[in-house]
Amino acid sequence: MKNTIKIERAIMNMTQEDLAKKIAVSRQTINAMEAGKYVPSTVLALKIAKVFGKPVEEIFKLEKED
Amino acid sequence: MFPQLLLPHKYKTIGWIILIPATIFGITLLASNFHNIQIKASTFALVSDEFLGESHSFSFIKTNIAPTLAGVLFIIGALLVSFSKEEREDEFIANLRLSSLLWAVLVNYLLLLIAFLFIYGTPFLTVMIYNMFTVLIIFIIRFHFVLYGNSKFLPDEKHN
Repeated sequence: MKNTIKIERAIMNMTQEDLAKKIAVSRQTINAMEAGKYVPSTVLALKIAKVFGKPVEEIFKLEKED
Repeated sequence: MFPQLLLPHKYKTIGWIILIPATIFGITLLASNFHNIQIKASTFALVSDEFLGESHSFSFIKTNIAPTLAGVLFIIGALLVSFSKEEREDEFIANLRLSSLLWAVLVNYLLLLIAFLFIYGTPFLTVMIYNMFTVLIIFIIRFHFVLYGNSKFLPDEKHN
């Protein structure tokens, strides 16, 4: 699964730490998600979508191998 | 949402304070073959025997407690470090904790397997001594390496 967290974050001019604080996770979690090393739970994905004010599908997309 | 068999974050610091001296103490003992440092004390033994001597059970014995002290402190320290929450314990960290445990058990037994195959006689006793602690050691190294090692290579984004 790929995601556009990094891009969305840049649009909103947020650092990893800012986003991490908003959704109550560690900075490492944001980093791991952006690097594609961690797939967040549905709860976390929904929280991220809420912060960016977009539907989940616009931020998280399935890849061919999924 | 994830298992909460974890202590509060502050216990991690206490864990490191116990673990670091215990490690140094333990290595010193191993390096000196348990001869240099002798701490004689009376202690309760469920079972005990002396080399080529009589055996005791359920009694107080006078013995060198230096290895006991090193082992007990190391295990307590390592458990506190391993099973205390991170500052912001979240699902990714919980996931990493579990995967690190899996990894540690696997690596530990692979190393033990190699030791079984290629080390014989008295040196194997040394392997067994180390092996009592390697699961925790490997876990701590792998968990912290992935958690903090990776984020070091990140550009600092504060000045965007």
